[in-house]
Amino acid sequence: MVDVRGLHVRFGEVEAVAGIDLQAYAGQATALLGRNGAGKSTTMRVLAGVVPPSAGTVLVAGHDVRTQTLLAKQAVGYCPDVGGLVPRATPWEHLQLSARLRRMDDWEPRARDLLERFELGDVAHRVTAGFSHGMGRRLSVILAALHAPDVLLLDEPFDGVDPIGVDATFDVISDARARGGCVLVSTHLRELAVQACTTVSVLRGGAAVATLPSGEMAGEEGARAYRGLLD
Amino acid sequence: MPTAVSSTRRAVADVGHLVRFRAGTLRRRRASVAALAGFVVVTLAVATVPGLFPDAGGDGRALDLLILLPTMLTGFLALAIVSATASGGGRELIARDPAAIHPVSPTTDHLGALLLAPLNIAWLLQAWTLIGVTSYALGTDLRLVQAEVIVVLWLVAATAVAQVVAWTIEVVRRVRHGIAWIRVVGVAVLAGVLALQLTGNLVAIFDQLPTRRVVIGMVADSAWRTVLTAAVLLGAFVVATALGAVPAHLAAHRTPQDELGVETGHYAARRRPRSPLTGMVRTDRASVWRAVPMRRGVAVLALAPGLVALAGGLPWEQLTVLPGLVASGGALLWGVNAWCLDGRGGLWRESLPVEPGVVFDARAYVLAEFLLVASLVTVALGAVRAGVPSVSELTALLCTVVVVTVQVVAAGLRWSEQRPFAVDLRSARATPAPPVVMVGYSARLALSTTLTGLVFSGLARVPAWEVSVLVAVPFLAWSTSRLLRTRRLWVDPVARARVVTAVAV
Repeated sequence: MVDVRGLHVRFGEVEAVAGIDLQAYAGQATALLGRNGAGKSTTMRVLAGVVPPSAGTVLVAGHDVRTQTLLAKQAVGYCPDVGGLVPRATPWEHLQLSARLRRMDDWEPRARDLLERFELGDVAHRVTAGFSHGMGRRLSVILAALHAPDVLLLDEPFDGVDPIGVDATFDVISDARARGGCVLVSTHLRELAVQACTTVSVLRGGAAVATLPSGEMAGEEGARAYRGLLD
Repeated sequence: MPTAVSSTRRAVADVGHLVRFRAGTLRRRRASVAALAGFVVVTLAVATVPGLFPDAGGDGRALDLLILLPTMLTGFLALAIVSATASGGGRELIARDPAAIHPVSPTTDHLGALLLAPLNIAWLLQAWTLIGVTSYALGTDLRLVQAEVIVVLWLVAATAVAQVVAWTIEVVRRVRHGIAWIRVVGVAVLAGVLALQLTGNLVAIFDQLPTRRVVIGMVADSAWRTVLTAAVLLGAFVVATALGAVPAHLAAHRTPQDELGVETGHYAARRRPRSPLTGMVRTDRASVWRAVPMRRGVAVLALAPGLVALAGGLPWEQLTVLPGLVASGGALLWGVNAWCLDGRGGLWRESLPVEPGVVFDARAYVLAEFLLVASLVTVALGAVRAGVPSVSELTALLCTVVVVTVQVVAAGLRWSEQRPFAVDLRSARATPAPPVVMVGYSARLALSTTLTGLVFSGLARVPAWEVSVLVAVPFLAWSTSRLLRTRRLWVDPVARARVVTAVAV
């Protein structure tokens, strides 16, 4: 589903991603762990078709993000790491725009269901500028999941989210895996990553340093192993 | 225990810290230094060169302008009040969100807004006009120096007084039903001025303006009169500066009602958009028309010049200057940094499966629509007393509206692509770019659109209406080619990613 080989992303003199290789598969959830500046969010932006790769090959659902960007975007649902919401549009307007651009016809029942599951049904027609950080995160996950994408990209979906939102996000990840989707979750929260994902990739200095079954990152042992990979 | 004196000292010191912080974030320091040098040169030039004209200081037009000077001084005060009121108390030295983590007092905020007030092309043009008119009116008279000192003192005192009025209005806006009260008072004032004009009493009032005493102080032969005028203006500046802190504190402790209304309001669902372009246009329109600074700004822009034209009974050939000014002002509300509309939602929007060209077209369309609405309201108001236009006059005016709109859209989107800034346009005080950059943008827009307006003003007098259309074609071709070049840049994924990631920080 996701095949990244030798990915480099440069912003002027800064190399945000320095040769990442990453594979993620259908029906699996892969966590991207690493310190600030490790290249997690930039990698997610490349997979979402927002930032073009400077070098390397990136295939998303079989589409090259460089040359088949629109097809890749159709296959992806993306929750960005910062905000991700148009300030003066309502959640319903966000969902309507996404559904229109993805040519979805019968999207409203699923949209309502997701809004209720994430407890945002009451604010569906209020602009997002007045939302708390956690509400914004929850809506971003809904927007990523609305069209049941082949590849679900969740960048820091648990950041500042209450337990109900975390559980709802777990459900979204489980649903995606159950229908054969590929899920990538970027997060700083190791324990939540272990719970939500089957595989963990640790990034350091813009490159992947290890890919392990998530069980090996659990508990105290996992914490020690993780710290060892970061040093 | 902090005292009033220690608090004020601290506030003044904090203004210095914030100015240094802002100055440190300037990306093009050489350009800023050059702009400052240019400002000094232009100011010195307008203070001296008009006085060297052959008829300067004479009994003809120079004397007429001297007689008009009290009205012009009052006009400057009125413009400063409108400008500060429209921006919710004046511009911010540091934006609200970044300021939240610092102990910045409302006094610091007030002093910062006062300091930034002159960084506005409307303020600068008015100030230069007053300085230039004074120079021309007095010629090489030895009293010119004292007169220019008085004019400068008037500029600073009027700006400080306008700040007090703007903060006070902002306090009223933030109380229950305050917005309605302000609207009622605003309409009553406008109606009163219009009634005075229509009944022919406005000129009599202009003749009795207290600013006559300021002008007498400027040209007085006795030194004590000039010193007294200077002292009164200096005192007014000091008192207004100090007094402004009071409503600034009161406003800071109340929630902005209009922002609250936008953020807690219910927006009913609309039917599914017919096409991706329609969907994009709808989202962009909501981002523009639900933003407080845009709504307030466009109301002032559309109404103020139109009402001046209405009151002054401007003829059709002079109305051609107005659409350019209005379009320039409209672009300065958001069009010069158009991609900041999405804020942090830019990353999500960029991940949607839609051709980037469609995204660009939607933004250009909404910007053009925004500018056209404002321009047409202004023209409609101005047309009320302009009589029935000739075909040439009407064609010239329509050509002006179309040409300046395309000109401004092309310039705005080009700058948006070249220099994107992460800006939160929630607050009425927010601007789409830093103050120094805004001065540069506004000067360039005002220059190009005013020149265009003057060209078509001349063409309105040409009997053959076809000439205006023929002249409009190369203007439009040039602006359209620049717009298309910006579109090609936007379609490039690397250039687009740079913009989107910059505004979504």
